[in-house]
Amino acid sequence: MKNKLKIQRAIHDLTQDDLAKRISVSRQTINTIESGKYIPSTALALKMAKIFGIKVEELFQLEEGD
Amino acid sequence: MKKLPLLPHIYQRVGFLLFIPFLFLGIAYAGWDYEIPWLSYSKQVQQISDQIFSNHNFTDELAAVGLIVSLLLISFSKEKIEDEAIQFFRLASLQWAVLVNYMILILCVILVYGSGFLSVILYNMFTILIIFIVRFRFVLFQHNKSNA
Repeated sequence: MKNKLKIQRAIHDLTQDDLAKRISVSRQTINTIESGKYIPSTALALKMAKIFGIKVEELFQLEEGD
Repeated sequence: MKKLPLLPHIYQRVGFLLFIPFLFLGIAYAGWDYEIPWLSYSKQVQQISDQIFSNHNFTDELAAVGLIVSLLLISFSKEKIEDEAIQFFRLASLQWAVLVNYMILILCVILVYGSGFLSVILYNMFTILIIFIVRFRFVLFQHNKSNA
């Protein structure tokens, strides 16, 4: 699964730590999601999309093989 | 994701603190037959004409229960920040531990016979939790290291 978390963070001028605090997870978890090692739950994906004011599909996209 | 029922983080430290003395007690009992004197129990049993004395010392029971409880406290307490990624790692580590534990057990079933197998079963009471704790700590260490 691809994600545009890093880009969206840059657009909204948020550090990993800022985003982590706003959705009550650890900074490491944000990093793991960004690098594609961990796929978040629907609830967490919706929370992140809400913060960036975009749809979940814009933040996360399926890849071939998913 | 639905949150798993876990103990507060402080119980992890309590678990580690309890684990050390119970581990030493278990080693002392298993290695040198050490018994805590005041844990002895003696009961006189009347059987027709003979008198049988039933003696038992509860040091081994105390060590086993203490070890299992302390390992459970370590295993099932929350991390400082218990988010869904940590919960995922926790479940994945538990699955890994169960698999590895039973693979070791299968090997022991094939290779160990007689009274030696009794020791295998004895240690097997603790190994599943120990393997889980080691695996989970290792996964968390890697998770934190890769993000440092």
